[in-house]
This record gives sequence, C-alpha cells and structure tokens, in this order.
Amino acid sequence: MFRSILPRAAPKSVLQSVRGAQTSFRASNIYFQDRLRRGYASEAEEKDLVIIGGGVAGYVAAIKAGQAGLKVACIEKRGTLGGTCLNVGCIPSKSLLNNSHLYHTILHDTKHRGIDVGDVKLNLATLMKAKETSVSGLTKGIEFLFKKNGVEYIKGTGAFVDEHTVAVNLIEGGETSVKAKNIFIATGSEATPFPGLTIDEKKVITSTGAIALQQVPKKMVVIGGGIIGLEMGSVWSRLGAEVTVVEYLGQIGGPGMDAEISKMIQKMLTKQGMKFKLNTKVMSGDDSGETVKISTEAAKGGKEETLDADVVLVAIGRRPYTSGLGLENIGLETDDKGRLVIDQEYRTKIPHIRVIGDVTFGPMLAHKAEEEGVAAVEFLTKGYGHVNYGAIPSVMYTHPEVAWVGQNEQELKAAGVKYKAGSFPFSANSRAKTNLDTEGIVKFLSDAETDRILGVHIVGPNAGEMIAEATLALEYGASSEDVARTSHAHPTLSEAFKEAAMATYDKAIHY
Amino acid sequence: MASIASACRLSARVASRQVRNQYGSTRAFHPAPATLAAQNFNMPALSPTMTEGNIATWRVKEGDSFAAGDVLLEIETDKAQMDVEAQDDGILAKIIQGDGSKAVQVGSRIAVMAEPGDDISSLEIAPEERSAPKQEAAKEHQSKQDTPTPANEEKAAISEFKTPPPSTASSKGKAQKQKYPLYPSVQHLLRENGLPKEEADKIPATGPNGRLLKGDVLAYLGRIQASYTAEQQKRIAKLTHLDLSNIKVAAPKTESEEKKLVKAPESQPAVPEPETEVAVPISFKAVQECQKRIQQSLGVFLPVSTFIARATELANEDLPKSRVAKPTADELFNAVLGLDKMKKYTRGQFIPQVTALPPTSLRATKPSTMKKPDIFDLLAGKKAVSPKPSPVSGAAGAAGSINVFSVSVPKGDEKRAQLFLKRMKMALEAEPGRLVV
Ligand SMILES: Cc1cc2nc3c(=O)[nH]c(=O)nc-3n(C[C@H](O)[C@H](O)[C@H](O)COP(=O)(O)OP(=O)(O)OC[C@H]3O[C@@H](n4cnc5c(N)ncnc54)[C@H](O)[C@@H]3O)c2cc1C
Repeated sequence: MFRSILPRAAPKSVLQSVRGAQTSFRASNIYFQDRLRRGYASEAEEKDLVIIGGGVAGYVAAIKAGQAGLKVACIEKRGTLGGTCLNVGCIPSKSLLNNSHLYHTILHDTKHRGIDVGDVKLNLATLMKAKETSVSGLTKGIEFLFKKNGVEYIKGTGAFVDEHTVAVNLIEGGETSVKAKNIFIATGSEATPFPGLTIDEKKVITSTGAIALQQVPKKMVVIGGGIIGLEMGSVWSRLGAEVTVVEYLGQIGGPGMDAEISKMIQKMLTKQGMKFKLNTKVMSGDDSGETVKISTEAAKGGKEETLDADVVLVAIGRRPYTSGLGLENIGLETDDKGRLVIDQEYRTKIPHIRVIGDVTFGPMLAHKAEEEGVAAVEFLTKGYGHVNYGAIPSVMYTHPEVAWVGQNEQELKAAGVKYKAGSFPFSANSRAKTNLDTEGIVKFLSDAETDRILGVHIVGPNAGEMIAEATLALEYGASSEDVARTSHAHPTLSEAFKEAAMATYDKAIHY
Repeated sequence: MASIASACRLSARVASRQVRNQYGSTRAFHPAPATLAAQNFNMPALSPTMTEGNIATWRVKEGDSFAAGDVLLEIETDKAQMDVEAQDDGILAKIIQGDGSKAVQVGSRIAVMAEPGDDISSLEIAPEERSAPKQEAAKEHQSKQDTPTPANEEKAAISEFKTPPPSTASSKGKAQKQKYPLYPSVQHLLRENGLPKEEADKIPATGPNGRLLKGDVLAYLGRIQASYTAEQQKRIAKLTHLDLSNIKVAAPKTESEEKKLVKAPESQPAVPEPETEVAVPISFKAVQECQKRIQQSLGVFLPVSTFIARATELANEDLPKSRVAKPTADELFNAVLGLDKMKKYTRGQFIPQVTALPPTSLRATKPSTMKKPDIFDLLAGKKAVSPKPSPVSGAAGAAGSINVFSVSVPKGDEKRAQLFLKRMKMALEAEPGRLVV
C-alpha cells in the first residue's frame, strides 16, 4: 500500500539507503499498525498527501500533487492562500516599489524628458488600495487553481496529533482532523524580532507593517540593510521619508551580494537620499516616547550615537515558523536556527513527512520554495525530483535593481577558485542611454581555465529580468563565450549582458 | 570507521552511484564489452582494498527481470554487508556463483545479465574471459580517447593505472554521443582546430547531463589540465545541493517528549547521548603576568577572554575524530571505499566552561583580598573594569587564580575532550604571550 504510493521514493535516495532497507520496511509497518489501530473509527478517508501551510511552497506542491492525481488537502490558517509572499511579501512590496518609483519619477525626472506635469500629489490610501487589488486578485487565483486541480482547501491551523494525523482548528470555529499517508510541512517563516523592541506594527514595524503604513513617516530608521530593509526603505524614501539604514556588517544587500555591486548600489541609493550606517550595531531602542530612540554603537570600537525616528523598521532577517505545529507530538527536530532537519529529498527522520520552503534549509526565497514544492511531489510520485541550488537567482527590486546568480567574488576567492571577471556598464548600452537610465553594470565571473560561468552579478535597470538568462546559462554549464556568441536584440538592455560576456572571454565591442 | 560499516548494513548504492558518475561507464560493474547479447556481471569491488567477498544471497532469481535501483544481491566482506543495486534495467539470465559462495574474487564472473526484453532461452552464455578486467577496461577507455598531445596522454595513462577504479574515476568525464546541438564555443573550438564534428562524441564531457562544455574541449586539446574539468564538475555539483552538513540540532524541549520519540522509527540523532564532563584546573598566573606586560609595554589591556578564545581556537585544531559523531554521507562513502583512514583528525567544537575554584580548595596561603578579574565579566565582553593589577601584589597573589575548565561530551568522546583541555592548559599556562602576538 505504502509502496504503491511511493514506488521508488525510498530505495532511490542516497541517504535512505545509508540507513538501510529497514527504514522503509519499518515505516510501512508503522503505517499498517496505524491503520489497524484506527480501523474501527469511521473517519474521513485517508489522503495521499496533506500539506500544512498554503504559502508558495505549500500551494505549489498542492497543485502539483492534484495534477499528479493524488488525493491532496492543503491547510492554511491565514484565510487566504499564497502565504507570506502573496499576502505580505513579494507581491505587495513590489506593488509599492513600482508605484512609488512612478511617483518619484514624475516628481523628479519627467521634466527633463519633456513631460510637464502639473500638481503631483500622493494619495497613499489609493496607492495601498492598488496594492490590495493586486494581492487579492492573485490569492483568489490560487483558490481557483485549487478547485481546478482537485485540491481540498482546509481553512484553519494544523497541528500534528501523530505521524499520520493532523488536527485542524478551523478559522470558522470547530475542529476537524485529516489523516494522510504523506505530510508536507510548509509553514514558512516570520520576521525575527529585535530584542528589546516591541513590534506594534505602527511605530516599531516589520515588513508587514511597512507595506501598510497609513502615512509617510518623517524619519524612518531601518535596522538591517538586507534586501527587505532596502526595498521597504526605498519605498518610503521615494514617498518622502528621511530613511537611515543601520547595518551591522560592512556591506548592504546581505552576504550573497557581490561586494563590488553592493558598493555601487549603496552609492546610487545614497544619491537618491537614503542614509547608511554600516558596521554599526543597534544596542537598544526606546519606544516609550512620541518617537522611537535607537542607540547605536560602531561595531568595532564603541562610537555611540542615538537616532530618532517616527517609525523603526526591524528587518534583521526571518526565522522559520513552527509554533503551534505540534512537532513535539511526533518528535521532529529543528536545528539551532529553528530550521526543520531534512535530508536531500526533504524527508524528516519520519520519511513520509517532508519539509519545504522557508521553514527548512536554503535561501528564503519564493522561487526556491516553489521549486521545492514541485520537487517534493515528484519525489513522491516519481522517486526523483530536481532543484539546482547552485542556480537560484536573487533579486533586489530597488531602482536600479540588483540581481545575481551563482557565486560572487568573495566566495570564489574563499574557495580558492581562479576566475576571470568581465563587465560592461549600462552607460555604454544604447538602450539604457535612450532611456536615460544608465546606472549600473553587468559583471560575469567565469573560470579562468575553462571559461565556465560561475556567477553573474548585475546592478542596473531590469536586472531582475535579465538574470534569467544567466540562470539558464549556469544551469547548462555554459561558458561566457557561449553567451557572447548568442544573438541579442538591438537595441535592448540585454546587449549589455552579451557584451559583458564578450569582455570576459575576449573583449567587448562597445566599450 | 569499520565499526560504523559493520554496525549498520550499508547499501552499496551510495558507492555504486558515485562510482558510476565518476568512472564514467554506464555499467561500472560490467567491464565486459557491451556488444555481447548477454553480459557478464562480475564481482564488484566495493572498496579499493576489497579483493574478495562472499555472496550472501541473490535477491533476484534466475530469469527474473529487474529495474535500475533494485537490489540484485547481498555481498559480505570482513567489514560490512552490502546490497548491490542494479544500475540499469535488465534480466538476470544466469547465476554463476550462487548464494553462500565464499571468497569470490573481485572481477570474476558471478552472473550473466541480459537486456530487458531479451529472450534468455536463446541467449548464448559466453565463456568467462579470465584477464584482469579492470585494466583492460581502462586501456580500452584510454585508446578510445585518442588524445592528440602525447604528454597529456602519458599523464592520463599513468593516473589510470596507479589508482584503483573509484578514484581514477574522479579525474575523468565520460565521452558520449552528443545528441544536442553543440554549444557555440564548442563548435568554434572544433572548427578552429580542424576537428570534425563527430570528434565531439569522443571528448569526455563534464557538463550537466553529459553535455560537452568549452572546458572539455580545451582539456581535450591539451590547453588546460585534463583533470581540471572533472574537478570543476565535482565542485559545482556540490553547490547544486543543499548544504546539510554540520546541522546543529537544537536541544530537545522536554524529557517526556523525548520518550515518545523512542517509538518513532530509528530516531537516531535526537536522543541525547549520556554526557560526561571532563575538567582540568588551569592557572591564570601566566596569563595575568602576560596581561601586565602587555599593558606596560603597549598600553593596551587584553581581557582574559581574549586569551581563552585564542587558546580555544588553537586547542580545537586537529583533534582525533569524535567517536560518536554521526558520519556524513560523504564520510560513509569514503568508509565504503576505505578512504576514511586518511582523515583521522577533525576540528573540535569545544567551548570550555570556566568555573573559579572555591577558595577553600586552594592553597591556604591564598589571600582573601585577591581581586581576580571576574572571568564572566570578561567573557561577556564588558569593557574590562581595569583589573587593577596593583592590588594583587606581585605574582604571589595571582598564583591563586586557578580556574576549572570543563566541557561536557557524549560518552566515548572523553579522550578527545581531555586532549582539548590539555592543550588549553598548555597554551594558557606555558606561553600565553604567544596567543596574542
Ligand atoms: C517583505 C517581503 C518581501 C519579499 N520579497 C520577495 C521577493 O521579492 N522574492 C522572493 O523570492 N521572495 C521574497 N520574499 C520571501 C518569500 O515571501 C518567502 O520566501 C516565501 O513566502 C516562502 O514561502 P513558504 O511557502 O515557504 O512560506 P510562507 O509564504 O511563509 O507560507 C507559509 C504559510 O503557512 C501558514 N501556516 C503556518 N503555520 C501553519 C499551521 N500550523 N497551520 C496552517 N497554516 C500554517 C502561514 O499562515 C503561511 O501562510 C519576501 C518576503 C518578505 C517578508
């Protein structure tokens, strides 16, 4: 029975086979015992798969499983599907980024382009409404996809009763429980709070508050210069706030961002009016008064300073979310950062329970969660799934955008790999020039011996779209010459991509 | 390592899979030419040192067909019992060495396989060739490549013969028919060097799914080191997986929750092993003297915590391998291949607990006024409330500052911990100055 659902999954895995054939035998055994024990209760039929969490990881897995003909249910407590990403993450933040950029452009830029605009006014309420329209359209769309693919949607909070049973505290009141042969945990992540500051989402906010402020703050302090902090900082800076970003490390954008690129974008954002305090530690905060006072200290050697802000955005990272999930009832373990422990096929030590998305290892990105949702279902149905963690792009949607895939210079140096770097500035690209949007570069890093592309780093207009080509190149093991010998339309920004590739293995034409 | 190998029944799939990838022959265990309708299936070497083994049981019967991944048979060696899994689909045409065969030489024929769909009743079973199959295969492999630069060929040939198959494997990609359009760079290089397109099929390819990369052609042409592309392939392959090494499992919440867990399947890592504590008294006398010296000569005060941190770093280096650490998949693989002997030492993760000894247990002469800098203050990184070395008159007073350093370790790891603490003691008592200069 177990076997027929999981024809190959168990014997296929490397880790599994290390544990030996006994593992799968025992697992099915427990399954049968469970069946016997429950035999007399006349409960709803058992599902092939139950997914806890309807975020990107969970909903994608649910749809994929539905398409594969599995009997699948997805439990979500939020009331809408799509998780962090659609409700309070990627989507609403991009809506605000896009519209605030338009506003900022009209305010500061259109004049030089020969467009005179009269009185420009910000209507924040409408701006927020536009955001909500995008969000609700997309989340409802997923609900529709659930219906289309035969996914049962259970609205409520799920908790493990035992290895095959999840109790659900329904949003509309009451309780139910579902049994399943396989269970995926996809409960996502939450903002890491800052010790000493109480989040009220008004004065002291996380990204969730930052996408819903009712007025533009005069002064905003962002604790943490990672992607989320810089994106939300950008939004409010464009809308008129005086934004100061405090970052503990010596660079913004997080450790994955190439150091050279990080410096460039920092300069550009500074030009736009944002302020940065790097190598600075936030020691404490005081939110008892009208404004919030943040005391900081230079990371190396104690220079102290107090910053005053109307709103403080805490963006020091996100942590896996498993509270209320009843992990203790089945003895599943997390690591010291709260991530659920898995093997390469996303299995916990209870092999029919798998974990995907932000709640486990790897970068906390929506497209990574999505890939894992598909792969985990394929491990179930086909015994094989594929996610290439070496080719997952990262994008920061500031203006200009920053995007990268593969390794950066710091990482290659640390790994002792000899590489060539080739870059091309957008200031030499015809399309960027015609658009009057010429800040940034494309940078290739390829192996010094083989020319195989090891990483691509872009800061510039449309970097987020352009990185797809780099990801494909990486996935195929292409060399910079391969990209350079591929035709790119003229005049497009993507020509800068091609020229950077040329500069890497040979010479650029236009620079 | 042997203990791990024998403790758990290993599946050889881990090994055979990687062997296949690296060795580059689709049927790593079938050195016989693929042209025969029936193929000899020879006793596999599951580690470089394995010369013979016993056949415990065949899990597939004569005449039965099997799919890739099915366990074909179980093999016993003095070290472990392992499952041998099929790499491809096929039919087990004939078993030559049956259940319970003892001391079967590696490379000798133990069965005959047929392709799926073959009519095995009409198969003719070829007599066994008795030559050393490994070397023959290697030679064949070599001659096929037809490397233009002789120097290169020689180098490759030597490495082919010196090392046993699995590690040889790692230095070579596999040549195969290139079904997809060639990459622009590859096409260009071939043309430029006057090689016909068909030559591409002969070049060992290290790209994803056997695709031929620019680097492969460069290696083939002898422009870069032949082994480099495979090394690169290995490095990049590692990046494609989630890094699940060094997972630090959070401490389980309560005792009772742990209990329930026991019924859960083979729940290994969560159940905390009983811990023992190993402790060593260490005097801070030398450290304090050193502190004084530095303060006098350089005018900077270095907290004791700095000394401890540096000593901890140092003492953690190259400790004998933990006996209780769960081996990673890589380590298991190495164990299967017998390569684990090479890596006996690992970096420790010890962080010592420091406790000041109660004064009574010290020498009676200890002045009660002694103001030793509070170690916990120092460890917490508080700005050193200048330790006022003056009140402690001379070295005599400092002699009292004996502290107990301890670490808790799982049972079985005491030796490792002791060595760690011994080194700490050495570092802090003998020449602490060297820790900070
Ligand atoms: C401001 C912001 C901007 C972002 N921008 C981007 C971006 O541009 N690009 C990008 O790739 N990523 C972005 N991310 C990250 C992205 O949102 C996450 O990586 C993604 O949402 C992870 O998906 P998930 O399914 O693992 O988890 P989540 O999306 O967090 O979904 C988990 C879901 O599970 C539900 N849940 C939890 N516990 C239970 C339970 N016990 N029972 C039932 N339901 C439960 C939660 O309600 C939640 O809806 C952003 C994040 C933030 C905060």
